[in-house]
Amino acid sequence: MAPQPVVTGLSPKEGPPGTRVIIRGEFLGTESIDLIGLKICGSDCLLSAEWVSPNKIIARTGPAKGLGDIIVTTRSGGEGTSSVQFRAIGNHEIIGPLKESAVWIEEAPTQNFAWGRRTLVQSVLTQEDPLGLSTEGNEQKNVDNLRELFPSSSGDLLQENFSPALFLLEKHSATTFADLKVGLKHLNRKVESQKEGQLSFLKSNAGSVIDQLDTMMNIRDKLLEDLNQYGPEPLNVLEQQIENSISKSEDIFTDVLVRKEKADSTRAVLLALSRHKFLFCLPNSVEKKAAAGEYDIVVNDYARAKSRFGKTEIPIFRTVMEEVDHRILQIRKQLHEKVIKMPQSVEQQRKLIKALISLEVQQSGSNINDKLRNADPAWDAIDARAKYLEQTFKQTFEQYASKDAQGAEKSKNRDPSQPPNRVAFCEEICEIAASQLPDLWRLGQMYFTGELRGPNDPRPGDFKRMILNAIEKFCIYLKIAMCTTDAEARSLRQSVGLIWPISHGSHDIFKAWLPQCLRYTRITYATLISLDLPSSALDIVQKFIDETRLHCFSNIFERATQKCSKLTDLETWEMGVEDFPGATLLPQRLEDLLIETLDEAQQACINPEIREGNLLETESDGQREVSLRLQKMLLCFCDVIQELAFNSHKEETPTHNVSQLLGYPNNQSSGPASGRFASLSPSTAITWEQRMLCCLANCAYCNKSFFHRVGKLFERYGYPLPSLAIETARYSVNKLFSNILDAYVEHKGDPLVGTIEPSMYLGGFQWDIEMPIGNLRPYAHECCDNLVAVYSEIYTISPALLRSILEPIVLTISEELARLMSCVPQFSYSGAIQANVDIRLLRDTMRIYTNETGRNYFLEALEAINPPLNAEQMKQADEILEHVKERMKLQLMCFFVKEP
Amino acid sequence: MSKKPTAGPALHKVIMVGSGGVGKSALTLQFMYDEFVEDYEPTKADSYRKKVVLDGEEVQIDILDTAGQEDYAAIRDNYFRSGEGFLCVFSITDDESFQATQEFREQILRVKNDESIPFLLVGNKCDLNGIRRVPLAECQQRAQQWQVPYVETSAKTRENVDKVFFDLMREIRSRKTEDSKATSGRAKDRCKKRRLKCTHL
Repeated sequence: MAPQPVVTGLSPKEGPPGTRVIIRGEFLGTESIDLIGLKICGSDCLLSAEWVSPNKIIARTGPAKGLGDIIVTTRSGGEGTSSVQFRAIGNHEIIGPLKESAVWIEEAPTQNFAWGRRTLVQSVLTQEDPLGLSTEGNEQKNVDNLRELFPSSSGDLLQENFSPALFLLEKHSATTFADLKVGLKHLNRKVESQKEGQLSFLKSNAGSVIDQLDTMMNIRDKLLEDLNQYGPEPLNVLEQQIENSISKSEDIFTDVLVRKEKADSTRAVLLALSRHKFLFCLPNSVEKKAAAGEYDIVVNDYARAKSRFGKTEIPIFRTVMEEVDHRILQIRKQLHEKVIKMPQSVEQQRKLIKALISLEVQQSGSNINDKLRNADPAWDAIDARAKYLEQTFKQTFEQYASKDAQGAEKSKNRDPSQPPNRVAFCEEICEIAASQLPDLWRLGQMYFTGELRGPNDPRPGDFKRMILNAIEKFCIYLKIAMCTTDAEARSLRQSVGLIWPISHGSHDIFKAWLPQCLRYTRITYATLISLDLPSSALDIVQKFIDETRLHCFSNIFERATQKCSKLTDLETWEMGVEDFPGATLLPQRLEDLLIETLDEAQQACINPEIREGNLLETESDGQREVSLRLQKMLLCFCDVIQELAFNSHKEETPTHNVSQLLGYPNNQSSGPASGRFASLSPSTAITWEQRMLCCLANCAYCNKSFFHRVGKLFERYGYPLPSLAIETARYSVNKLFSNILDAYVEHKGDPLVGTIEPSMYLGGFQWDIEMPIGNLRPYAHECCDNLVAVYSEIYTISPALLRSILEPIVLTISEELARLMSCVPQFSYSGAIQANVDIRLLRDTMRIYTNETGRNYFLEALEAINPPLNAEQMKQADEILEHVKERMKLQLMCFFVKEP
Repeated sequence: MSKKPTAGPALHKVIMVGSGGVGKSALTLQFMYDEFVEDYEPTKADSYRKKVVLDGEEVQIDILDTAGQEDYAAIRDNYFRSGEGFLCVFSITDDESFQATQEFREQILRVKNDESIPFLLVGNKCDLNGIRRVPLAECQQRAQQWQVPYVETSAKTRENVDKVFFDLMREIRSRKTEDSKATSGRAKDRCKKRRLKCTHL
């Protein structure tokens, strides 16, 4: 025996099924037929194997998986071994040209052999030749001829019409005679051996043959015995027995049959019942489901029953159907009641309406429908919803209104941070509108888009009117709740017939909550906008909102004006305005207040939200309102100043700090020293003069720049410039200014002027006596000192006021001088000079603060000196004047500063 | 085999690397079956194993003949991991194949992470000395630089074919004995350490 095959090389060592593999090794067969087996990874690949040399075989791998040996089997060497292994990858399936594969596989030559199965099994039954001869080389010739010769015979050994001649001619036409002879002998031998076989079979089984004989003898004995016992005809007994049993069994059988029939019919009835259980249960089940609210199921079941039994001829079914129809009718009535019952969600309502409509449609053909005809359930639902909405509005209104009516007395001492009932009402009604109006609208939408439409045509006009009506009602209720004046309430009562029971004075509490109410309304409005309502509906709300915004705006400003009127208490008399000395922080406070107010207004109402009008359009109510409100506020501010100027210091009598020579002759320094400087010390209270001056400065400041700034402020917030309001305010502030000025001048000037005459004639002085000259008379000194005092008083507060205050004072002084001079009948020589010097000094000193009339009065005073001064006197007077001026230079210098 | 290391002969795993067409399969087949294949058929991955007598000792050599084509570059890593020694083959008539050896060397070192892995630089087709493109000096210089032996072979004339395989197997064998010594030594060290630790504890 040759050595075992050994596989030592594999190329490639891995691949999918069908890979062409070169197998190398030793003793792989001496020739191609020596190779009798090849297994790669356990799958037989012999069929594809191509033997090349004892060292090389080429084959294709079969359907295997994983690592496995290559086993070569040869006839000469037996089963071999492998030192290398093949790794089959991929799936088991063979990928042919007609098969899809997820992996790419080399298609090369198609393999159409079956794997692992030898298909060369011969299916033809081969028979051994009866003559024991080979049939090779005995091709059949002229088969047709043979068939003609032996028409009714067959060469087949197994056929009845077997003909030996035909058999020989068919199978052994080419066999030699000698061979045939041998065949005959073979046949004979076979026959002989069969014959011999029979005899020898008996011989070898002699024992069992004897047993059989014994048994037959026994049977015969038994037969004889039976004959003795039952007579010669034992079959009669048997027959009778059999007949008996037949009749018995028939009895039993009929009995069983009857029972079976009964059972069958019962079963059939039960079956029919259970098959149509659905229908028979329907009346009850429908009612049960309806009670449970599962109308979908009712609709479905009814539709099913209708389609199956609607046109049935079977009377029982028809009765049941009629019953069902009646029940459904009841359900429809219930449904209709439920549909229009409020409150409920739209979804629920929709479900009910749908169920109702489909039930109605299903019943529409039959005569039963005539008993109940629901025109249009969806429309009824809409109607019910609208009515409910209106009712809810009304109820809510009444509820809150009655609460307010009862609690009118109690409301006095309630917590101010708690929103009033009206606000709560606004909130609630807005919530109702925001939740129910959309529902109503959605329901309407469903109705008009056909989702819920019954067999009738929709009525769009009615629906629109309904929506408009609801929104209008909503607005009216809000309006009633939000009205803040009695007049408004009255007019509303006339138009609508409703009024909010308001205790007197609660309007003011409510006003603060107006923006809150506006907010609620706006939220609702936004909800309504998102619904895509028709614009005519939204316009109603918009109009209301715009009105409320304006209202709100007015309120805010009203409140601000009230606050403004309280500014009196806030005046600290602190002078803090840089560009206008003397003005206090009061205007600044007003500005702060304005900014605060504007911010609030901006937030609460001025900024337009979605789909809201601009309040500040030119020539609109809004603009007029703004102008009006500002005007009111500014006028109020004027009043504040007035109040401060005249009324805030009643307990304090004005101190007369004008120096008087009466009783204090030659006491020149006493005037400026009194009280004035004391008032500047921080510990003492503000003096009357300072207040007056501050107020004057405030007025001037307002007139000059502050009101413009207010205008600018408004412009900055996006308002149109309220020029009318500002002009009006300026006019009134100017008027106030002159009032205060008059008061101040009167207060200051009267004592000053009044002291001139007594001081002049102090000590029995007469102009017509000679007197020492070369100096100023004390009265003139006093007058100058007093003027300096007033000047300094004004200057410390506000230099800008100097001219306007000093001018009228100087005018009165000049007038007084002119009057006094004209009253003197005769001047002495020196007296004339003295008078001239006095008057001229005063005139020259107050030059800057003298107007035309003043100058005329001074001239009149000079001319009144009688007799008039001659040249000598004039010269003397000039000298003295020069001298006096030189001496009083420092004292009087303040008057010559042109722009202090 | 790994189950009974003492029973079977030692197994040395050799991997043939190099560009396509340099004669890796030809060398292998010449070594294995003394036959020279004239026609060229690109290899994917072939496996050969047989018993040989190395210095009087019977051992088994397992040769993995890899694909030179760049198409298979991605799967080389897996093959290299199992190799114990490498024959890096190039053709002395093809400079590109010589340049490519650099890449193979790098890949092997990266996969094996071992500078002294048994490795032979083999210049094949030395029967075609007439059309030589890679100078001998250059080859030797590279071998020196890598510190590996350089041998020129001819799969056609069988010159040096046995030598390269046997040389490589010797290197692998000596490497293995070194390793086993090292591991046993280390094991002893570990024992000592453990004992020390215990006393400490």
